[in-house]
Amino acid sequence: MSPLLEKIKTLAAELSVRYESLRKIWQYSDSQPTEITLAAALVLLYPIATYLELGYSPIMQILAPIAGLYQLYCVSGKCLSCRVRASFITFSFYLLAAVMYLYCGKLFQGASYWGWVLFSISSFGSLKRIKKEELHRSNGQ
Amino acid sequence: MDNSTQIILAVVTLLGSAGIWRYAETRLKVKAEQKKEEQSASDTILYRDDLKKRVEEMDRALKEANQELLELTQKVAKLETENTFLRREIDILKSK
Repeated sequence: MSPLLEKIKTLAAELSVRYESLRKIWQYSDSQPTEITLAAALVLLYPIATYLELGYSPIMQILAPIAGLYQLYCVSGKCLSCRVRASFITFSFYLLAAVMYLYCGKLFQGASYWGWVLFSISSFGSLKRIKKEELHRSNGQ
Repeated sequence: MDNSTQIILAVVTLLGSAGIWRYAETRLKVKAEQKKEEQSASDTILYRDDLKKRVEEMDRALKEANQELLELTQKVAKLETENTFLRREIDILKSK
């Protein structure tokens, strides 16, 4: 086997290990800091950004900060089912923002608008992690 | 964007996110169940449970043995005292 091929194989194996590690971190790591960040963005960033870019929308600018505050309340309370509920609501709001931007034709106007999609993916990942933790605890593992 | 459009989009998104979540939740539950079944059937878990049972049995046996040992020590002490008195009485009788 040529040295180059061997080097490529070693690199591929290393990358595979790193990818697996990242996948495990994404699936199982502690999601509270992410939840707090997502909730804070929902309270502060979400209403301002949507008001400036989409106009007045009571669903997005009044209900979303309430949902963000609820998520912060749940994270501080350490109740898993409450966190699952709050994360689902947060995910729904971020998805709503992405859909609204898509509907208004703004989503593909600039890469920064894709942030809402990123927020949606992040909140969904967070939601899955908490649910996994809940199932893990209920199974007594 | 008018209010009715906003409401319709919100409802559609909510239903969509609920559907996505329902699907993901079901998958997670199925996976968790499978993992649980695999674990309960695996030899390692069975061996661990067996070891736990044995440790509990040995602990109980140890406590019982300790109790018996304590009782026997008390009996031996009692017999030793009796023996000492009896020897003394024998000595007294012999000297008479």
